[in-house]
Amino acid sequence: MIRIQVNGENHELGQELASMPLLWVLRDKLKLKGTKFGCGKGLCGACTVHFNGRPARACQLPVSAAAGGEIRTIEGLSADGDHPLQRAWVAEDVPQCGYCQSGQLMSAAALLASGKPLNDDAIRNAMSGNICRCGTYGRINRAIKRAAAEGGLA
Amino acid sequence: MKARNAQNIQLPRRRFLKQGALLTSGLAVGFHWSSAAVAATAPQDDFEPNAWVRVLPDGTVKLVVHKHDSGTGTRTALAACVAEELEVDPMAVEVITPENPFFEAYMHPLWHVFSTGGSTSISLEYDRLRQAGAMAREMLVAAAAARWGLAPADCRARDGRVHHDVSGRTAGYGELTEAAAKLPAPEAVRLKAPSEFRYIGKLRHKRDALEKVSGRLRYSIDVELPGMLVAVVLRAPVIDARVEGLDTTAALQVPGVRQVIRVPARPDVLGGNQEGVAVLADDYWSAQQGREVLQLRWSQSAFAEFDSDALPGLFAAAIEDPARPLVRSHEAGDVDGAWPLAARLLEADYGMPYKAQNPLEPVCVTAELADGRLSFWGGVQVPSFAREAARTICGLGEEQVVIHELISGGSFGAREAKYWLMEAAYLAQQAGKPVKLMNSREDEVRALFGHAATLHRLKGALDADGGLSALRLRALSPASGEQWEPGYDDRPDQMDYSTTEAISAWDFAYHTPHLDLGWVRYETGVPTGWYRSVSFIPNVFAVESFMDELAQAAGRDPLDFRLAHMQERPRHVRVLQEAAELAGWGRPLPQGTALGLATHQGYGSYVAVVARLSRQPGGLRVERLSCVVDCGLAVSPGGVEEQIYGGLMWGLGHALFDRIDIRQGAVVQSNFHDYRVARMSDMPEIEIRILEGDPDKPGGVGELTSPPVAPAIANAIQRLTGQRLRETPLDLGLKA
Ligand code: FES
Ligand code: FES
Repeated sequence: MIRIQVNGENHELGQELASMPLLWVLRDKLKLKGTKFGCGKGLCGACTVHFNGRPARACQLPVSAAAGGEIRTIEGLSADGDHPLQRAWVAEDVPQCGYCQSGQLMSAAALLASGKPLNDDAIRNAMSGNICRCGTYGRINRAIKRAAAEGGLA
Repeated sequence: MKARNAQNIQLPRRRFLKQGALLTSGLAVGFHWSSAAVAATAPQDDFEPNAWVRVLPDGTVKLVVHKHDSGTGTRTALAACVAEELEVDPMAVEVITPENPFFEAYMHPLWHVFSTGGSTSISLEYDRLRQAGAMAREMLVAAAAARWGLAPADCRARDGRVHHDVSGRTAGYGELTEAAAKLPAPEAVRLKAPSEFRYIGKLRHKRDALEKVSGRLRYSIDVELPGMLVAVVLRAPVIDARVEGLDTTAALQVPGVRQVIRVPARPDVLGGNQEGVAVLADDYWSAQQGREVLQLRWSQSAFAEFDSDALPGLFAAAIEDPARPLVRSHEAGDVDGAWPLAARLLEADYGMPYKAQNPLEPVCVTAELADGRLSFWGGVQVPSFAREAARTICGLGEEQVVIHELISGGSFGAREAKYWLMEAAYLAQQAGKPVKLMNSREDEVRALFGHAATLHRLKGALDADGGLSALRLRALSPASGEQWEPGYDDRPDQMDYSTTEAISAWDFAYHTPHLDLGWVRYETGVPTGWYRSVSFIPNVFAVESFMDELAQAAGRDPLDFRLAHMQERPRHVRVLQEAAELAGWGRPLPQGTALGLATHQGYGSYVAVVARLSRQPGGLRVERLSCVVDCGLAVSPGGVEEQIYGGLMWGLGHALFDRIDIRQGAVVQSNFHDYRVARMSDMPEIEIRILEGDPDKPGGVGELTSPPVAPAIANAIQRLTGQRLRETPLDLGLKA
């Protein structure tokens, strides 16, 4: 049995899934579809979740390696889409197609929670692993600053 | 409100009434409505005056958006055009996709297919959609007026209700549906004046943002149906290779793998799929594991020796070969007579490589063949291709095609290909179950049907005053991937207009007495397709680079040189001047810094871009892109701004990264490590200025701003280093 904890809930998985990346366990076994697939190689950030509070690429993490840790996905970022970052994302109208945004938000949430000083360099460093093909980088930068300014170190 | 004359109001009313009649009479099944369920359950007293408006007796307003939304905001902007005239809040009403995507009114007015693309969704639909909203509004007002025994002119609509201000009487749209549905449609409708707009020109937000930031919006990749299998396809690694030997034993032993199906190539269909072998499993990961252990042998292919590195040489040899098909796109005077009179002659070649669209959501669609109907779930951007897949693969007519349309995670042309719809239809048929076809990133990079490699050759003559006296341009490229426009092959000029954007008589920016611009058709056989901004990209790269080369040879400022050769183009002149002003053109710059300029027009809009580059220890750096746009009326200014930004980012990609190589007939690149795309760390500072344009006419913006970026950067490189780079991607590392 592999035991994983996702958004505070415990799940037990058969040993045959040990090598399946966390991404596909989340999406196909737990039906948590908010975490997206973009490259499968740790290159695009679409699958970003939090693993023990840090951003992790779910496509690169065999589920067995995630056992015992705490996993948070976009579905667990807030109850109603009201995390300060999500509110800022809506206020700045960040998403175009929206497909990258779960991953963008999880990367941004880890940055905010880290308590590091927020400037353009810090944002660029934390966010450059997340590809957006539509080109929302400018608004992401603004939304992160807005969330921080509105006291959003949730 | 301002009255429009009748010829502006070309609603095909009878078609809508017929549609309504079909709905209520129950004759809908199997005729225009492909989804019998929708038709059969449509209540009798809904008010459905035309293809875009549905008002239910409970007051629910549903607006139909018949264009695919791949993140471009069409669902918001198009709904707003209807809502503005209907006097409802576009953010509050429901937006639905067409119950019957093949209803005539939804056809693309220029291409006569059911499709979304070409940055035309707003510019071409703007008037029609407003008329649809106004028509519904006037019928609702007339119904209320009749109920109250008043003249319609004394009543007004606002926020989903009809009001009679004098008496204070008011009625919600829902209460009026039954009466309104019985009224004749008005002969002509009155449209609001731009000064009366409450939503158009003021929208700052898009619909669905909350669903997108909470991970709740469902994309093609999220579709699940009972009994569904997930398919991945191992496609011919070498173009046009066929399966010669297949051993499925190992693949079928992978847990979760259910079937292995050979998918034959369809070379008989334009844009048809390459040969492949599909592995169908309970989930994507299992299918992927199965694909990795497929044992198969591919046939030899005519492309086995094909190498894209050889193309520039082949293209250069062919571009003036009189045996090649040449179609002139713009001609004036006599260039051959002009060359001997020139004070100075200049010639240059410009090249661009193959490129892949790479939407972040890899192409994905679910198909099911059941009860004689073929259903698709996903981002089906071109319903006409779904129809074609149903016909060619399953022998079904359009009345047997059902499309459950979803927002897609980007397209940029990838979802205007049809190979994946054909594969999905085939797999659904063969598997006898719903099949979700998924591309991996590697599949997406190697999918072909991307942007064609091109070569441009320009020759220009300068007169003694440094003026451009003659210009010849040859744009070598294949015909566009899908020549589906009716009559394409019968055109006497054999012109493919999607290859000559920006170099045709109606859109070439510059004036000179002797001109000879033309397209040289060269088919390599590599499948290519649609790509955001299509031929504007290479055409603008070549022309705008060459204009700088000419200006330099003439010893003139590139801005002045351009302006001197524009005639009767006030909007074009203005974006150039404003961009120059925004970027500080002509003002002193810090040491090791230079500006480069380029401009472009298309889709009824104008743009100028100034790139600022600097020397850094590791090479050159693009520091800033300053961009000025005149797109006429911006229906959704927030949406316009983000399309401009996205286009600039794409242009940066063309300039610095985008490149597909083909060696021995196989695509070399595979994922984002060797097919780079712009990340946040690549972005320069972006300055955008949107001019107040013609308040009556929205222009397109989705594909406007990428083409001028690469030439602006190349022009800045030249001014900074003295080196002229004529092939993309431009190498910034060399020139420190
Ligand atoms: S899907 Fe995991 S990083 Fe791209
Ligand atoms: S919003 Fe489309 S990929 Fe980021």
